[in-house]
Amino acid sequence: MPALLDEVREVARGWRWGRRPLVPRSAEPFAPPPEPREFPTEWARTPAGRVARAAIQRFVLRPLVWSETAPRVHGLDHLEGLRGPVVFVSNHSSHLDAPLVLCSLPERWRRRTAVGAAADYFFDVWWRAAGTALVFNAFPVERSVGRRLSDTPWRLLQEGWSIVVFPEGTRSRDGWVGRFRPGAARLCIGAGVPAVPVAIRGSFAAMPRGRGWPMPGRYPVAVRYGPPLFPESDETAGSFMRRLSDAVARLWDEDRGDWWSAQVRAARGTTPPPAGPEGPRWLRVWEATRPLPRRRTRPRVWS
Amino acid sequence: MTRPGFVLEVDERTPPLLVHRGEGFGVQRFPLGTRVVYPPDSLPALPDVRGSIRHAIMNPLGSEPLPELLRPGMRLTIAFDDISLPLPPMNPPDVRQLVLEEVLELAARRGVEDVELLVANSLHRRMTGKEIEAVVGERVFRSFWPESLRNFDAEDPGGLTYIGQTDKGEDVEISRRAAESDLLVYVNINLVAMDGGHKSVPVGLGSYRSLRHHHNVNTMLHSRSYMDPPSSALHGSAARMGRLLADHLRIFTIETTLNNETFPREFGFLNRREWEWSLRDQAGYLAAKKANDAAPGRIRREVFRRIRAPYGVTGVHAGETEAVHEQTLANVHRQQKVEVSGQSDIMVVGLPYICPYNVNSIMNPILVMCLGLGYFFNMYVGRPLVRPGGALILCHPVPWEFHTVHHPSYVDFFEEVLAETTDPSQIESKFEEQYATDPWYVHLYRNSHAYHGVHPFYMWYWGAHALDHLGDVIFVGGDRRAVRRMGFRAASTFADALEMARERVGSSPTITYLHSPPLALAEVR
Repeated sequence: MPALLDEVREVARGWRWGRRPLVPRSAEPFAPPPEPREFPTEWARTPAGRVARAAIQRFVLRPLVWSETAPRVHGLDHLEGLRGPVVFVSNHSSHLDAPLVLCSLPERWRRRTAVGAAADYFFDVWWRAAGTALVFNAFPVERSVGRRLSDTPWRLLQEGWSIVVFPEGTRSRDGWVGRFRPGAARLCIGAGVPAVPVAIRGSFAAMPRGRGWPMPGRYPVAVRYGPPLFPESDETAGSFMRRLSDAVARLWDEDRGDWWSAQVRAARGTTPPPAGPEGPRWLRVWEATRPLPRRRTRPRVWS
Repeated sequence: MTRPGFVLEVDERTPPLLVHRGEGFGVQRFPLGTRVVYPPDSLPALPDVRGSIRHAIMNPLGSEPLPELLRPGMRLTIAFDDISLPLPPMNPPDVRQLVLEEVLELAARRGVEDVELLVANSLHRRMTGKEIEAVVGERVFRSFWPESLRNFDAEDPGGLTYIGQTDKGEDVEISRRAAESDLLVYVNINLVAMDGGHKSVPVGLGSYRSLRHHHNVNTMLHSRSYMDPPSSALHGSAARMGRLLADHLRIFTIETTLNNETFPREFGFLNRREWEWSLRDQAGYLAAKKANDAAPGRIRREVFRRIRAPYGVTGVHAGETEAVHEQTLANVHRQQKVEVSGQSDIMVVGLPYICPYNVNSIMNPILVMCLGLGYFFNMYVGRPLVRPGGALILCHPVPWEFHTVHHPSYVDFFEEVLAETTDPSQIESKFEEQYATDPWYVHLYRNSHAYHGVHPFYMWYWGAHALDHLGDVIFVGGDRRAVRRMGFRAASTFADALEMARERVGSSPTITYLHSPPLALAEVR
């Protein structure tokens, strides 16, 4: 029996049970494409799943995120009067982003919102896939080039679920906003639903890539919602994607300064791109990890 | 598209790798940087094998279609490879059965009545009726056994015909029935590049008088390797004999190739690259290993003996021997060849439970030596995987165990010859003649199911090139007495074996693990 246990341990360690399986580097060029199999997530949207998720988000996730970081949420008024479903389109630089968006949404939106999550990362092993599906109401999104787009997001929109999409496809490596892929725009056009741009600042500083827990010290993070954008008739995915990207850039600019100045710069076409400063990678990371000011500095009315 | 073979470099992501250990297996961690040679994935099987056979014999290479060679009143002999191929034996129907049925169907339609089928067993043991039936199928067996379907007898004085000598003075003597036929059809399975071509008829239907010209130490030392026919003195000699035969006898060759589906579904993990093992594969490995380790030796052997490979047929070619064999070799290379850059200080091989000479039998120490230093060491084109003076680590328990019916002369060879010397040249000059002509061994070969008296010598010569090339041979987990008798060293663990090898090749050796079976042929540049 001890020999059997030793061998089970050997296999468990060698094949990384419960962890992401790895391919030896020299074998990567010969790795077969993963089988097109989608982890089932419908169960997470059953009444029981919804009740469990609502409790987890309300009593565990939100208190956790709000106690480990200091979120500031703006622009929720844009959702008033808006009827779902919508596609929330946000920049993405941290694992905090999805919980920040979900937990900052009003209750009526939150309980009908699902999140697109990378299939190769969040749905690689069963326990991570199940946890992600339950807590975030997540569905897998294939990121590999050449993989067929799943019909799950279309189906969810048709069933009245709003979805959160990060069109950069992956978390930013340096904290700044990367190029948006047109998938989200295509989704909005195809399903005929509006997109709500969301800018998130400070999450990279609060919990950058490689960290499994937020930085100590309650880093400030900003979540700023913008007015919904509706695809125009005959608008292409590329064009709508550019409008979305510009909207996120304006929100980012607005969060760095103020609404009016951002509007003026937008009207002049001088909105600074949220792509970060030119320069070596370390400098960009250095700037991106600079914590947001604790409180927004406002011009003093009375001197 | 089938994935090609490749060379893995072990890194921290690499799981333990599967290693065959005779009638057992296990996983083994290898040092970082070890190169591991993996064969290409299994090629897709032909969807219609019978159709492909028909197409091949109706559209042969360098010959008229088979029906044009068949006529009433003619003497037709059909010879086919014996039980040594393929390994493990394949799931029924054996491809030889399919070919034989097609050929016999044509012969029947063309009015040929004098038909005889010969097992081309050369100096191998006679196959039993049951074994032959498994190869040829029930219909052929019932029609021809035992009168017109029989094992070739290389010691039947009245059953041999001396053809003549090659331009190098090599005697050619083969089965009289084959030599006196109007047409000899040879049906083969080309599992490795060594098989087939001119090696089929002159060797498979040849006598000791003929075989001694290429099954000798000098030829083996100049066969580098015998898995690469153009660089093999063995094949050079066989080719000269084959060409001489072709001047006397009409030969129609039908060669088949198989893919790398070596193990059945229950042992599917043995066919897969370890990091691609699913949870089911891992569970299958654990269950199979534990059951195998816990089983008594007889049960374990029986389980392995019953393994049938779900091989798929990748090619069928027919016609003139050399033209056919060129296509066959290309197919074998497509399935097995892997490019490897440079040699290493240490080569590691896990030896499986089976070799060509212990089907339904026991793998005795001499066969273990032959499998490791003969077959696997020679699985190269260009240069050996290990440098001259390097070390070969073989994983096998090397039990001191013999099948007394199948391998009687092996017992005496092990006890008498190897106790005196392990040098192939000395063994050849001092003992070969005596064993080859011993009347008792001849009697057992002809009337029992024994390998010929000279066969253990050939097995030892098979490793002559490796013995000449290597600086050290270490068996992991081998029976110390048996290993020492053969002049090698035994280590308890793989780590110990590496330490022992380091004494010979230096403290920071390069290591290459030939991950096989499924079979891989290393093209070392």
